[in-house]
Amino acid sequence: MTAPSSAETTDTSNGHVRDASAIALKNLHKRFGRDAIALDGVDLDIHAGEFFTLLGPSGCGKTTLLRILAGLEAPNEGTLTIGGKQVTDTPPHLRSVNTVFQSYALFPHLSVRDNITFGLRMKGVPANERRRRVDEIADFIKLGALVERRVNQLSGGQRQRVALARALVCEPDVLLLDEPLSALDAGLRTQLQVELRRTQKRLGMTFVFVTHDQDEAMVMSDRIAVLDSGVIQQVGPPHEVYERPVNAFVARFMGHVNLFEIQAVEGARVSTALGSLTMERPLPADQQQGMLLIRQEVIELGPEVPEGYNALEGVVRERLYRGSRVEYRLEVNGILLMATASNLGQRLYPVGDRVTVSICPEDVVRLDA
Amino acid sequence: MRRGAFKRGLTLFWWLTIAFLYLPLAVIVFYSFNSANSAAHFAGFSLRWYDRLFHNDQLLGALSNSLVLGLASSIVALIIGTLIGYGMYRHRSRKLGWLIVLIYLPIVMPDIVFGISEMAFFVSIDRQFGVLGPSLATMIIAHVTFQIPFVALIVYSRFVGLDPTLFEAAKDLYASPYKRARHFLLPTLKPSLIAAFFLSFTLSVDDFVISFFTAGPENATLPIYIWGAIRRGVSPEINAIATLMIGAVMIAAVLSLLFNRQGRRQ
Repeated sequence: MTAPSSAETTDTSNGHVRDASAIALKNLHKRFGRDAIALDGVDLDIHAGEFFTLLGPSGCGKTTLLRILAGLEAPNEGTLTIGGKQVTDTPPHLRSVNTVFQSYALFPHLSVRDNITFGLRMKGVPANERRRRVDEIADFIKLGALVERRVNQLSGGQRQRVALARALVCEPDVLLLDEPLSALDAGLRTQLQVELRRTQKRLGMTFVFVTHDQDEAMVMSDRIAVLDSGVIQQVGPPHEVYERPVNAFVARFMGHVNLFEIQAVEGARVSTALGSLTMERPLPADQQQGMLLIRQEVIELGPEVPEGYNALEGVVRERLYRGSRVEYRLEVNGILLMATASNLGQRLYPVGDRVTVSICPEDVVRLDA
Repeated sequence: MRRGAFKRGLTLFWWLTIAFLYLPLAVIVFYSFNSANSAAHFAGFSLRWYDRLFHNDQLLGALSNSLVLGLASSIVALIIGTLIGYGMYRHRSRKLGWLIVLIYLPIVMPDIVFGISEMAFFVSIDRQFGVLGPSLATMIIAHVTFQIPFVALIVYSRFVGLDPTLFEAAKDLYASPYKRARHFLLPTLKPSLIAAFFLSFTLSVDDFVISFFTAGPENATLPIYIWGAIRRGVSPEINAIATLMIGAVMIAAVLSLLFNRQGRRQ
């Protein structure tokens, strides 16, 4: 039940692996104007060679953080170290960092090949080596004949690949990606998520990815930082952030809905509006306030209650059939509880049915309000 | 049936408009090939007026003045106007609305007011410091003044139409400020710069009023020469000059259109 949900990739066969760079952010503050605070004291360590995601709603500061990494924005306070070098005041063209922009920002006056070559040309790489490296990256990203096209002849997905190739060909210490998939339709998006993750694993490069989509973040990342109002709320691998969110904001942002305020605590028994629930172990004295989270997919429905489980009585108020799973809106003690069941061919409960809800004590999680 | 009549009416209206615009020009072109010295009856086809044209030193001098003035002022205006247009774009967040109004002002100012002011200005400077007496230099300065807003606005609107992240992408891809100008800004602007140059050049060659007030005795441009010649009576020679000018303007207009379209296609 606690298996990592991100895609496991074991492909390290390619020879592109290089020394990756770690990033250290210390006490970063960024204000726009007098009172718009974008970052309010961010401390963060991003490991070398990891796929790191900054996740949060719009306006949470994730894009500002990425722009500070790129050098496109300067922090008001704090320091930034990339690969052991202090780069807080280094202008973007002197940083070994490249960005895949949300709008892709391909130069309209240049062909695809000239776009990809741009960074190498600016760096002063000799022409024959430029050609070799562009061919190599075009092969790696599988651009094929696209290389000889004009930018305005490309589709959204193709532009995304060209933008990626243009950044990767420079072999930066860190690759930054600013919601590069948000403009694409769902199918292509899923495909490119997997491709992007594979590419990162093969190159062993440090990737910092920005998104507001928690599913995308979980599929792709080694670790996720959840941001809100310019403050990092939680940093951890996808399964930790999803299964053990530290507070209500992170829980709601990760898609959880079953959150109940703690009313009273008696050893391992905790009272909420939903009813009294037994937890795996008693809550320490300093954690007896806050909320309980019950993920909708851990809730079991059925007449039998497994040994040691919490049992509650509920009524089905609504049923949403989603093919691979079925979602129930249940009413328990006058409170709404969402439950998701995998569609394994079992009997579906009709609306109005009385059901017994079973919850394993291990799956009752306490978090801050 | 009624729709058909309406459509025919519209077609007729279209051709009337075209005739209204181009018939006077056609008359001039037609009589420029007249073998007789008359604007009333056509005696036969001849190129004699064109021949005379190319042996008229005064006219050729005026033509060369016009070209030198047009080229010099357009180049200067292109440089200054491009810098202003870029500045307006770069600092567009700083509420520069008043600056844009200021830049527009010479465009809407009547030429005669503008010309007289320039003349008065140059004359007083000449009296004080003994420089900027009426000459080619004063004409170039005056022309640059009214060309700059056009260049600045063309450049500004090109920048506004660009994805702002392109500027950041250039920085991100290791381009120093100089390399950004050379490998990103200039190539991106190229079609707009060519269009702006043609427009400035046309405005300069076309101008009569401002040139008239700022020119020295040796600096008569083509329009000034034509104006002087007409006071002595319309000759078919004038028709021939006009015909050549119509041809040149049409070529410039087509080129400007092509470059503008190329700019927009990118």
